[in-house]
Amino acid sequence: MKQVTLYTLSTCPWCRKAKKFFTDNKIPFTDIDYDLADEATQGKILKELDANGATGFPYAKIGNQVIVGYQPKRYATALKS
Amino acid sequence: METESRKKALEYFFDKVVGPLGFKFTPDAELRDFLLEQEVTLEKKHGIPFCPCQPLRHDRARDMQIVCPCIPFHREYFDSMKRCWCGLFVHNDVTDPDSLPQVPAKDVRRD
Repeated sequence: MKQVTLYTLSTCPWCRKAKKFFTDNKIPFTDIDYDLADEATQGKILKELDANGATGFPYAKIGNQVIVGYQPKRYATALKS
Repeated sequence: METESRKKALEYFFDKVVGPLGFKFTPDAELRDFLLEQEVTLEKKHGIPFCPCQPLRHDRARDMQIVCPCIPFHREYFDSMKRCWCGLFVHNDVTDPDSLPQVPAKDVRRD
């Protein structure tokens, strides 16, 4: 099974939907709320976002694919590919 | 400050700002209410109603670009999506906000 990591914000409804997608589909995932993380972790996440042209959350890493925004169809495709 | 009264105040103010830009509040009442509540929470914490779905960078110039409504700072991008990133606002002609996905800035078509 592909490793799934989510970067999210505790205030973002789309981030909650993204977490629900993986929970409902019984896909294990690691999740970090950017706004609740320490400064060093925030810096690391921002570098990743910038490197991938992302300006907002949710930010999902499925295997080696990055998906920015709440995009359940793309999540499903990435999990299958 | 009471959350509900502040939500109403932000709603009143935002409506005046986004209307002339060709945007309106999302017709999704639940999403609208949730996002406004998060903005009030952010305002209580930081003094400013930042976008609930974009990161604060602790860089004032960049953080000012995600103060709601942040449409003027991302006009071309949001016009292309017909919504703002968090979805609180959609183009005036939008009736089905669920049909408008979040698209990363680098993937947006700008015709």
